[in-house]
Amino acid sequence: MRHTFAIAGRELRSYFVSPIAYAVLTLWAVIAGFFFVAYVGFYAQMQKYPDPAMLERLNLNTQIVTPFVQQLWIVVLLLVPGLTMGLFATEKANGTHELYLTSPISIGSLVLGKFLAVVAMVTLLVALLGGFVGLLFYFGSPPPELPQTLCTLLALWLVALSYAAVGTLFSALTRSQLIAYFLTVVVLLVITLVGELAPVASQAAAGSSEWVTSVVEAGTSAVRWLSSADHFEQLATGLVSTRGLAYFAFVIGSFLIVTKTAIESVRWR
Amino acid sequence: MIEAKRIMKRYGEFVAVDDVSFSVAAGEVVGFLGPNGAGKTTTMRILTGFLPASDGTALIDGHDIFHEAIAARRAIGYLPETPPLYPEMDVQGYLTFVAKLKDVPRAKRKAAVERAMERCGLADVRRRVIGALSKGYRQRVGIAQAIVHEPKVLILDEPTVGLDPIQIREIRQLLASLATAQEGAHTIVLSTHILAEVEAICRRVILIHKGKKVLDAPLSELTANGAKLEDVFTRATQRDEAELESPPASATPDAPTGAAQPAASA
Repeated sequence: MRHTFAIAGRELRSYFVSPIAYAVLTLWAVIAGFFFVAYVGFYAQMQKYPDPAMLERLNLNTQIVTPFVQQLWIVVLLLVPGLTMGLFATEKANGTHELYLTSPISIGSLVLGKFLAVVAMVTLLVALLGGFVGLLFYFGSPPPELPQTLCTLLALWLVALSYAAVGTLFSALTRSQLIAYFLTVVVLLVITLVGELAPVASQAAAGSSEWVTSVVEAGTSAVRWLSSADHFEQLATGLVSTRGLAYFAFVIGSFLIVTKTAIESVRWR
Repeated sequence: MIEAKRIMKRYGEFVAVDDVSFSVAAGEVVGFLGPNGAGKTTTMRILTGFLPASDGTALIDGHDIFHEAIAARRAIGYLPETPPLYPEMDVQGYLTFVAKLKDVPRAKRKAAVERAMERCGLADVRRRVIGALSKGYRQRVGIAQAIVHEPKVLILDEPTVGLDPIQIREIRQLLASLATAQEGAHTIVLSTHILAEVEAICRRVILIHKGKKVLDAPLSELTANGAKLEDVFTRATQRDEAELESPPASATPDAPTGAAQPAASA
């Protein structure tokens, strides 16, 4: 664990002496700010509706917080790989991996240390959103519900960490940051959007024999489970389920373990 | 202190290191010689645990590099061919980080870093960012990271490559001081293809050619009766396998030609 924190600390410092942290934070603040202003403006427009029945149903959580945070998944998908692309790729390009691999440390603590640095960055990004949403608590009447708001932010945090775990693996597989970035984005887009194919598949299977439909159904439900979209949406709308939390734990854990194995396999090949 | 036992490294068909055995006693300074592509770096990488051997093993300070890897690595200071430096860190911060990785206890860390900087002449540039240092200074930082945890064994891969003559002299003086230090003298294995370097620092020479050990003798013996090290080197690397004084048991007549092809492309 000593090593883990030493590695995480070094990585975190290197984010802030390179332009990466600033570029990511600036982009994030600008894009999130733009979305936020748009949602708040839209909400203000709606409040001018004279229909009292309509006004009844307006609340800050469902109208601003949740859609605002949900919209940002695509931004996270493009930014987080920028944070992870260099984790191992630059070490290999600079030859500094020779230091790690000849030091009395375990590969597990190395991977964990690197990942912890990304966790810190992701937490910072989500905390920034907390700043925007905090304005609603200050000015909104009635203010949004705190538990649901925290749940929505937690959803984005977990999604970002699962993206980071995927990015960590691809950084360990190549010595080029650019390749690591693009591979990560492509793979993330596929595993996020593959769930959208499920209805298409079941439609195509409709009308064929019972055996085929049941196989397709089982396949599509497995694919939907693997895709992060549903889990993210449930959690973001305030539904905390063991199933959803287990999904994120599974994705993060398995990608980090594969990363560890990938690094070890390079050593023992 | 170092006990290499029949180390082999194969990359597919190509044999990079072929049945190399040697032992280095505590306090010895050994020059690891050989033409480019002879297998020097591969052998050193195996000793440090960076690469696994295909066959054979080595003991570092009594610890097996495979089965007691962590203990063995703790006993080694290693300067790779490219010093493993983070250009964005300052010298002191970098050495402190390395000291943490190498398990220097917290209470001794500051003193250890201070001492490494002192010995490598880095005290004046401690706050400078490594990326802004000259190549000679960067090489010193590389050596400082190898000695920061006071390892019993120092393995240095071409420590003077790419430096100018003045820097080379400085680094050589530094290495000589590490070898002869009163307290905590290191056992040093140093690879190079500069013969003058060997003559300046080392007391023993191991010559590797096409993955095989072809010579292992004290320097004084080799240069006795006025022989030049250069001639010894040339003769040893050009000699045919059959003429070796003590051919390795595993040597086959067609081995040199078989190994020569991939070596040329490597």
